[in-house]
Amino acid sequence: MKTQQSGPLQMSCFYVGSALCGIDIRVIQEMNKQMEMTRVPGAPSYVLGIMNLRGRIVTIIDLGKKLGLGESKKTEQSRIIIVNSREENIGLLVDRIADVVTTRWEDVDPTPSNIKGIKGKYFHGVCKAGKELVAILDIDAVLGDE
Amino acid sequence: MDIQNPQGRSVFAVSRFDLEQATKGGKNLYLLEFDLIHDIEAKKKTALDVLKNLETTGAILDVKLDLEAVGDLEGGDFSNRIPLYVLFASIIEADIMPALLDLNQSAIHAVDLASAPAASAPEFAQELLETTPPTPEEDRTDDLVKELFSADTLAAAVESPAPQAGPAPAASSPAPTPPRAPEAPKPSAPSKPAPAAAASEPEPASADAAPKPGGKTFTQSETLRVHVSLLEDLMNLAGELVLSRNQLMQAISSNVLHQIQVAGQRIDLVTSELQETIMLTRMQTIGTIFNKFPRVVRDLARSLGKQIDLQLEGNEVELDKTIIEGLGDPLTHLVRNSADHGIETPEERTAKGKSPTGTILLKAYHEAGQVIVEIIDDGRGLNTAKIVEKAVAKGLITAEQARGMSEKEKANLIFLPGLSTAEKVTDVSGRGVGMDVVKSNLDQLGGQVDIETQPDKGTTIRIKLPLTLAIIPSLLVSVGEERFAVPQVNVDELLRVPAQSIGERIELVGDAEVLILRGELIPLVYLSSVLNLGDEFSSAARMVGHVLRGEPAPEKPVDINLVVVSAGQFRYGLVVDELHDSVEIVVKPLGRHFKECQGYAGATIMGDGHVALILDVAGLGRLADLSITAGLEQKSVALAKEEAAKGVREDRISLFTFRNTPTEHCAVPLDLVARVELIQAKDIEEVSGRRVIKYRGGSLPVFSLDQAANVGMLELSGELVVIVFSINGHEIGLLASPPVDAMELDVAIDAFTLRQPGISGSAIIGEHTTLIVDIYELVQTLQPDWFVERTALLPDAGGDGEVGVPNLLLVEDSEFFRNQVRRFLETDGYTVETAEDGLVAWNMLQADPDRYDLVVTDIEMPNMDGFQLAEQIRSDARFTGLPIVALTSLASEEDQARGKAVGIDAYEIKLDKDRLLQSIYDCLQRYAAA
Repeated sequence: MKTQQSGPLQMSCFYVGSALCGIDIRVIQEMNKQMEMTRVPGAPSYVLGIMNLRGRIVTIIDLGKKLGLGESKKTEQSRIIIVNSREENIGLLVDRIADVVTTRWEDVDPTPSNIKGIKGKYFHGVCKAGKELVAILDIDAVLGDE
Repeated sequence: MDIQNPQGRSVFAVSRFDLEQATKGGKNLYLLEFDLIHDIEAKKKTALDVLKNLETTGAILDVKLDLEAVGDLEGGDFSNRIPLYVLFASIIEADIMPALLDLNQSAIHAVDLASAPAASAPEFAQELLETTPPTPEEDRTDDLVKELFSADTLAAAVESPAPQAGPAPAASSPAPTPPRAPEAPKPSAPSKPAPAAAASEPEPASADAAPKPGGKTFTQSETLRVHVSLLEDLMNLAGELVLSRNQLMQAISSNVLHQIQVAGQRIDLVTSELQETIMLTRMQTIGTIFNKFPRVVRDLARSLGKQIDLQLEGNEVELDKTIIEGLGDPLTHLVRNSADHGIETPEERTAKGKSPTGTILLKAYHEAGQVIVEIIDDGRGLNTAKIVEKAVAKGLITAEQARGMSEKEKANLIFLPGLSTAEKVTDVSGRGVGMDVVKSNLDQLGGQVDIETQPDKGTTIRIKLPLTLAIIPSLLVSVGEERFAVPQVNVDELLRVPAQSIGERIELVGDAEVLILRGELIPLVYLSSVLNLGDEFSSAARMVGHVLRGEPAPEKPVDINLVVVSAGQFRYGLVVDELHDSVEIVVKPLGRHFKECQGYAGATIMGDGHVALILDVAGLGRLADLSITAGLEQKSVALAKEEAAKGVREDRISLFTFRNTPTEHCAVPLDLVARVELIQAKDIEEVSGRRVIKYRGGSLPVFSLDQAANVGMLELSGELVVIVFSINGHEIGLLASPPVDAMELDVAIDAFTLRQPGISGSAIIGEHTTLIVDIYELVQTLQPDWFVERTALLPDAGGDGEVGVPNLLLVEDSEFFRNQVRRFLETDGYTVETAEDGLVAWNMLQADPDRYDLVVTDIEMPNMDGFQLAEQIRSDARFTGLPIVALTSLASEEDQARGKAVGIDAYEIKLDKDRLLQSIYDCLQRYAAA
């Protein structure tokens, strides 16, 4: 496990493809289904474009593509999760929103070396939520500039 | 405070705060005096009923049964009343209270808060202090003032030494601001006796003046000084904005379109004013950076053993804060350079005959909406030869390119990356920050830098800066559905190349497509391809490809819209699908994921809420692989092409086309047209057999073509065009029918088929046979007196010593031009003989060497061209006193130089009548005097 964090952890969970992922709820600013964006030619392929979020320019990222799970399709259930990462707002396109899961950092297990082909470095770890495993995303690693 | 009854007895004690609360919203405060016996018992009511009744119309603050007023048995003075006092607050006015309450007027006392004795009893005052906020609030404001004041003085104290902190390394620490804000409030804290409550107070209160001090999210907090009057303006505007918003809301709810429009306009007005004013708060004087230079220069001068006088001008010029901050480093570098390399040592200067003290002038001023900063020194100037040598040695340019460069271009090579002329790296300059870094720093600010130098006279570096960065005027363009903004500073011109003239305007040079714009070759960059927008967006590219390379054509022909842009050394034509409006946009930065993208300067939000990208013209140029020196290369190609084109070029003339009758196309040389006016046929008056129109406060004689030439009758009805000519100082108007047009074209003029008085010939223009009108001949038939008068006046035009009318020899191969030029030379009083080419002219000169006073010659002619003719004339001693004026449609610098070399006295453009006449006159005068 990368982090030595402890204490309670609330995660907002969502599906990227068939994988259930979670983000620490504290970095999430909002979720919306505004899908109107301007593409930016020449940008990295996982960047979908930019969006006007109440007067601010927000970069939208295809989380599926970024994690190597394949391109996300925009459907009725698609949502954009706006997160704060390093003083910047970034939108993540996900396939479907799931529940909020409450757990503790102590219950987070290290990331298995290969979870469904996702690059391991993007995760804090995994934990159990009911029957399913939730992969906890390290948002700064995902949105870091490689 | 206490409330007294009319007898002066204190009845209630209520805190002023409660009273103020109760009387908010214009309520009146009453002291009501009910008598339990007469007012209540006698009227068969209960006290409770009375109070309940009161509650429906106002608020009861306090109720008291005054038993003391009843008196006691011992005292004996038994009053027969039991007063019930009610402190009552209500919006009801005093005059209707008696009726409402069924109470005697004398029993209702209005309580005036303002005149009421405030806290007459000391214990009340004490209570007030403890429970009510107003007084402590005063305290707090007091503290706040103290706090702000001390913060201010401290800030000032920190600020003043900071710029003097000595020569900071050029590459680091953008401004001395950072330490100011976090430090300032802290030292002021101990001086403040206020409790913790007050200490937390200043944060929100001072937030507009300075961002929160020391919050841990603010790694670098900055403060900004703003003039109080500006803040007041802002307050007023904010107030107005709120008012306008209220109006708008009201208008919307009442749904009256007119009112909505009015309110909308008002908001528009207020918003733009607000925007301007807010931008003003960002403006800082350039003095803040200028003022550190006296010290910098003094230190430098001392360590270098030089005498330097630094002069500052335009300290008060204001620029946006971000620009001021970004300008510090490059400016420091440039000033150091001037001091180190520019200004010589006193000995050297004395040896050159200059004053031992060198001068560096730092100057800022406004020009055309931009701020210009100049660094002028009177030092040794740049050694351009050395710069070129270095640039060639480093392979930045080729020797060939260098030869084609002007001094100025050579000097500007210093901004190329990887070029440093300093032979040795001294302590002062050459700290790894080259001029290219200066340039790229300035580029980031949207600035342009230019250098001019003269050996031993000095160097002038001129920096052009925009006033502000946050809001920039931009041109909107689109490719397919996508819109982009191009900063207006980069836009040189807009151009539309119609589909049918692509072949003429766009050419292939090597593999590159270039636009021919007034003799210059401009590389084309397709926005769709440089951004890889995909095939569906590239109809323009396909269209050009089709015309130039024979590729398959797009579905339907498209016009090519392009923006000629320039940034730094790049200049190219950006091909887009559509050109839209010019708008003011607010620049917003792009996120960190786009830092690899070169083509964008940011993004902006359009009026409709969509996001548009702002293009970075220099970045796009790099993306399109236009190398920096490509521009230079292009220029030499352009010159070569022009050279090649010379042999085949026809005479280009500018024609003004119009119609006589709707089917009869006519044209006159554009240079002869003074003005064009649109009139109504009914405006034409007929006075003593002549037609005139009222024109600029006088009468303008007008005529139609059919009056003088054998052409169709012009019907005098509806809208007409008057083409005004100025002939020998007289103005005359030619009536014609619209549409009119002006065009420059190569035409072959047929001077025979349709020749008649007033018509010098015909040409095919755009599929129509067009009559070329000879305006001189026309006017001569209509107003012969103008010409008689003129020739009589001008026989001495040739100069003082000459006898008779100067005799000119006009050499010109095109009959059209020959006739045109001859005519206006003749109307100006000269006698003119003509020759078709140089050989004929030379033979004429040989036959009678003294016959001619001046030769006017075309350059491009068969058999013997103008250069050869001039050479022949100059090589013959008999013609030393014969001036030669060349007439040409090409007046490139190279041609002029060649002309000068072979002895041509003056170069004039064909049909630029006034200049030609002036030039002939000057030449004659000069030769007569010699």
